[in-house]
Amino acid sequence: MSAIIEIENLSFGYTTPQKILNDISFEVEKGSFLAIAGPNGAGKSTLLNLLCANLRLKTGKIRIGGKSVKSYSAKALAKKLAVVRQEFVPVFGFSVIDTVMMARTAYFGQSGFATKADIEQAEDALRETDTINFASRPLDQLSGGERQRVFIARAIAQNTDILLLDEPTSHLDLKHQAGIYDLLKQMQLEKGKTIVAVSHDVNLAAQYADSALLLASDGDYHIGRIEEVFSSRQIAQAFGVRVFEAEIGTRKIFLPIGKFAKHNE
Amino acid sequence: MIQQLTPKKLVRRIIFALVVLAVVMFVCSRIGTEKISLKAVFSGTESNLNTDYLIFVKVRLPRIFLAAVVGAALACAGVIFQALLRNPLADPYILGISSGAGLGTIIAVISGFNWTLWGRSPIAVFAFAGALGTVWLVWFIGRWTGRSHVTGLLLAGVVVGAFFSAMIMFLTSISRSQEVYTTLIWLMGNITEENSIVIWFSATAVLAGIIALFYISPQLNVISFGHEDARTMGINTAAIQIVAFAVASAITAVAVSLSGLIGFVGLIIPHSVRLVLGPDHRQLIPLSAVAGAIFLIAADTIARVIIAPAQLPVGVVTALVGGPFFLVLLVKYSKKVGWIK
Repeated sequence: MSAIIEIENLSFGYTTPQKILNDISFEVEKGSFLAIAGPNGAGKSTLLNLLCANLRLKTGKIRIGGKSVKSYSAKALAKKLAVVRQEFVPVFGFSVIDTVMMARTAYFGQSGFATKADIEQAEDALRETDTINFASRPLDQLSGGERQRVFIARAIAQNTDILLLDEPTSHLDLKHQAGIYDLLKQMQLEKGKTIVAVSHDVNLAAQYADSALLLASDGDYHIGRIEEVFSSRQIAQAFGVRVFEAEIGTRKIFLPIGKFAKHNE
Repeated sequence: MIQQLTPKKLVRRIIFALVVLAVVMFVCSRIGTEKISLKAVFSGTESNLNTDYLIFVKVRLPRIFLAAVVGAALACAGVIFQALLRNPLADPYILGISSGAGLGTIIAVISGFNWTLWGRSPIAVFAFAGALGTVWLVWFIGRWTGRSHVTGLLLAGVVVGAFFSAMIMFLTSISRSQEVYTTLIWLMGNITEENSIVIWFSATAVLAGIIALFYISPQLNVISFGHEDARTMGINTAAIQIVAFAVASAITAVAVSLSGLIGFVGLIIPHSVRLVLGPDHRQLIPLSAVAGAIFLIAADTIARVIIAPAQLPVGVVTALVGGPFFLVLLVKYSKKVGWIK
């Protein structure tokens, strides 16, 4: 296995001298599933935006597929990694298929129209995400869960090795949360995609990911296999809250214990 | 296989729209206070002038072509501003173009300039410069305010617009000139006959702009989802945004310098085409341009004849006719998608 994402001594702050990310180094293996967890404001989305070059890297190095992220053109990077953000309703009522086809824009020739191969790729993505049945419906008429599946279909149609996801299940109910993570796991296992998912739900992420990056708000971080990173001590430290730990089978789950929580005795 | 917009389908639709445009042009050229015999028109030449020929060739046709150019420019600019600002309420004047053009016009009148540039009066030239200057000022303020570009732009547009409107008021109050009032009325949107150099020059500029915008239309589709999203899909968002913005502002400024501020076309035509054919910019741009031309020719014809021999400002007609028409379309669409049960 080789590293597809390499991050070396990465530091970043929106305002100097305050830094949200402080001297972070880690690698993501090709075909693996990394969960990035941490409290609000710890820099999870910032890290993701640095990876996809939406934020300009100032200190440190990011290499995607062995090449510095800075050396990629927008088009070339779009063929390496695809991004799924939090579910949202776009302003204009593009249909599901139009939305998924947009992922192929980086592959369009001069004509600005899709080729037969582009359409097939988009149809495959619709089939894989089980969204083909409402392919011609406008996005604003779908439920949040359906819409997020469409955004994942769009990322799949982009035909990249890496999928980056920023809180992909944040507005979804339990069933759709599991559905989205099942889909991501399927993409990892069947298509060999590398998945990097930001989530503040450590329990959900722990069920699916192979490894985790836990960012704390004080700039501290832990990286490694799930069971090494997600311990009640480290989670409590990162989130600044006491946690209750329970073991279910081979997995651990964590519950926050607030001041008035029933477990708080 | 899922239906997609193909070049063939698009060309068919554009040709159909152009045929409708030609028919509307022909019909509207026949409508007017004077009855015109086509036979007389075709027998007329430069050396053997008759009244029918003069009215048809020197008055009606130029005016129809001008309405087409202005309508196409405004509708297309509306599409672009709505996509770039991701705001369905955006129109070509949203970033202060209207007050900039107004200020330019007032300055031209007060200065009492007396020259022409490519057949255009100082008022039209200053309206053009004012419109373009203001929109770029707003753009730079918007960029300067930083990351949340759209909000910064919209706020800058509102503030600069209010500031320039206040200056217009100020200059109007101190000048006490009848001419200023007349000019302000012109600015409210009027299509008048122009000479052929002006029509050819502006038609070429607007057509070139529409072609440039069509060329970047697949990228505009993606940008309408948000520029961060677009970047990760391989779009050079900064370059596309600046090209789209520059072209849309330029064709709006051309339209304003030709006919003042004609409201509503840039707002309702893009929405109407979107409601009927969907939001894909590859067809939205060319078909909005043709639909805008058709709409403004029809509106101007009504403005010419409805209170003949007097004429209404065409802006009044666009709002009076366009408003209800748009509401009908909106209700139909709402029923189709189930907003209204």
